[in-house]
Amino acid sequence: MLRYAVKRIMTGILSLFVLATVTFFLVRLIPGSPFMSGGVSQSVVEAIEEEYGLNEPLPVQYLSYMAGLLQGDLGISYQDPGTSVTEIIARAWPLTASLGTAALIVSLLAGTGLGILKVMSRKKAVGHMISAAGMAAAGIPGFAAAILLLLVFSVKLKLFPASGLYTLSSYVLPVISLSLYPTAVITRMMANALAAEMGKEYVLFARAKGLGRGRIVLTHALKNAFLPVLSYAGPAFAYLLTGSFVVESIFTIPGLGREFVDSISSRDYTLILGLTVFMGTVVILVNLAADLLAACLDPRIRRNFAGREG
Amino acid sequence: MKKKTVAAVLACALFCGVISGGCTQAPETDGADSRITVAINSDTGSMDPAGSIALTYLAYSVSALDELLTYDENGEIEYRAAESFEVNEAYTEWTFHLREDALWSDGSEVTAADFLNTITRALDPASGSGYAVYLFPIENAEEIYNGEAQMDSLGVDTPDEHTLVFHLEKPCVYFLDLLRLPVYTPSCEKYADAVDSGWATDPERSLANGPFYLAEYVPDQYFVLKKNENYWNEDAVKLDQITYRFFDDTQSMANAYEAGEVDVATSLPSTVMQLYEGKEDLMVTDQIATRYIYFNLNVEPLDDVRVRRAINLALNREELCQIVGADTEPTYNLVAKYMKDRSTGEYFVDGAPQPFEENAELARELLAEAGYPDGEGFPVLTYSYPTLEMDSDTAQVIKEQLKETLNIDIELRAQELQANYSTRYAGDFDMCRMNWTADFADPYTYLSMLLSNSTYNCSGINDPEYDSLVEQSDSQTDPVKRSELLHAAEQRAVGEEFYIIPLYAMKSVNLVNPDITGIRQIPASGALEYRYAEKGQ
Repeated sequence: MLRYAVKRIMTGILSLFVLATVTFFLVRLIPGSPFMSGGVSQSVVEAIEEEYGLNEPLPVQYLSYMAGLLQGDLGISYQDPGTSVTEIIARAWPLTASLGTAALIVSLLAGTGLGILKVMSRKKAVGHMISAAGMAAAGIPGFAAAILLLLVFSVKLKLFPASGLYTLSSYVLPVISLSLYPTAVITRMMANALAAEMGKEYVLFARAKGLGRGRIVLTHALKNAFLPVLSYAGPAFAYLLTGSFVVESIFTIPGLGREFVDSISSRDYTLILGLTVFMGTVVILVNLAADLLAACLDPRIRRNFAGREG
Repeated sequence: MKKKTVAAVLACALFCGVISGGCTQAPETDGADSRITVAINSDTGSMDPAGSIALTYLAYSVSALDELLTYDENGEIEYRAAESFEVNEAYTEWTFHLREDALWSDGSEVTAADFLNTITRALDPASGSGYAVYLFPIENAEEIYNGEAQMDSLGVDTPDEHTLVFHLEKPCVYFLDLLRLPVYTPSCEKYADAVDSGWATDPERSLANGPFYLAEYVPDQYFVLKKNENYWNEDAVKLDQITYRFFDDTQSMANAYEAGEVDVATSLPSTVMQLYEGKEDLMVTDQIATRYIYFNLNVEPLDDVRVRRAINLALNREELCQIVGADTEPTYNLVAKYMKDRSTGEYFVDGAPQPFEENAELARELLAEAGYPDGEGFPVLTYSYPTLEMDSDTAQVIKEQLKETLNIDIELRAQELQANYSTRYAGDFDMCRMNWTADFADPYTYLSMLLSNSTYNCSGINDPEYDSLVEQSDSQTDPVKRSELLHAAEQRAVGEEFYIIPLYAMKSVNLVNPDITGIRQIPASGALEYRYAEKGQ
């Protein structure tokens, strides 16, 4: 198990290295300069580029960037003189992370609950309604849902703030927008897995023992049915944690997603690279954590790892 | 069972913790009535007048920094940091006497050295100031910027704490107009040491000599200005606080206004005009800007003036503006339609006949004369423009109109804004979109762009006659004669040589809480100013 984890981490570091290298050169292929704007003359642009070492040959710039990266130095933002990329990540990440975590928790709770309800309910209409709602939630693009929620609940009804992340109530709309899709997926996964579990022999045995349906689901079937959800939750969490460009932009939340979009349109090379490396790290770590967690929960996967060790 | 309860409680606590961890502190906006919240575009650029400034600085400086003097809406001089000035007969030596009661927000005196501080720092190319070129009328400033002279040779003297003298290379009649630019604005010598030392966004070190000072700055979210009790004209300042909140796009701003989260939202999409038609909130102001197209004179057949003229005459700008949006108005000039001529008090462009008239028939004739009857044999030209909604719509209309009138084809090349700047600077285009907002209230800000040696001349214009007209106007001290020279220059560039295709002037669509009074429009840029605004009566 330990060896597996170490191996995964090593692959992760290699992936990050490749990611940083590819991004470094790709970013330079975009036309434009970080210092070019409508009102700055060419000579000024050249003078500043020299100041930041952008006139050096590309391989030299690459080596010096990588040397910095190895020491954990992500460099200085070009657009925000005097501010390091690390500082920018440090101020944007808490917003994105809290939003993503809240959205994940909401999706897990709502998705599991609805999934159970769908399987357990004796009324067919309930099942149909959940399916229909799930289809709609999965089908409507996040940005459309976000705009709709914004128009109805903040612009028209004025129930929630339209912008920023200043109070608890300002979380409601962005979290709902973010969790619609994962909730729909989890509901369906949960319902399918649970229905499959309910047909298995141990459930039959439990029923023969005289246990009620509710008891069987909660104490026996749920744990098993949760495994596929967990394997989905890992990548979903990684996605939510690295920021939703669209939702952050619609609700004016200065998180990672917004920084990322801004950095690209302003050609802030160091910031683009820093954010890419950071997001890559988050994705790799979260996926690793999800795999390890699954291994802890499922003895079969655990044994698999052990097999590889031997 | 107990274990599960504990787990549930812990989970709830974790959830709340997660959420509150991400909550940022809200700017204080409610409470006393004399506070307003203004929505502005995303946090860009430095707040240092000597640095690479953009929207954030412009919003900040309007309320927080006093320039030496400025012009009011009637074209009269309004003294701010200075209380008087004199100029020699040759217009080469300008002496400003600073107000002795002017104080920084920490109570220390504003001195001539504070003005010099910004100038010397901006003359270091590493500062990234895009406005340093406007210091070049000062003796040796250009040489210092290019590293060919020492800073002590700079033509700025500070004989005493309250006197500032500028020695110019040659007469510059619009020098007073330049004074509103960031590079002529003071930065407190005590703290403002370098562009990247972070002083400008640190409320402890970022001092103001204007009616408001920086009290809080949260990057990417908002900044708060509070009333400067040390301001020399403090009694006239009615607001206690102005909060500027950053927004990514204008639609979010309009939403925030509708939801009551901000009191003022500026530069909104033109659709807002219809939504708020007839309501008190809507405030439409003139932008001192021209949107136009550059021809590349190095590309055949655009080197032929008949072709350039034909394209100009073939367009129907009225129709274009109807399609593009209610916030546009046709223009046939390079100088912004709403820029005033101080010698007459009227709009500058109204001081001369319109440079040319649209005429589809004549356009076809001209094209035939140039060797392309009914567009036959005319090469496909490329039009490069940024992928902003307005420019994309414009491009479609132009393509359609030129096809219909001249039977020529235009290939549309939509580019991201940054990529479009690069294309333009590199001269890698047939026709390229350009938008110019005035830096200062003088036609020179427009006409200088087409000079042979201008950094904005990316289209290969090299016209000694034009250069000579503009240069003569530089030193012409008689305002009427100077206006004539400027009009002649514009007529040559736009109405005879057709170096550009003027398209339209723009209005700015703003929403303002009707409880707020006293908002003024800055004549030079068209931006709104809140110095002497009041909220609630």
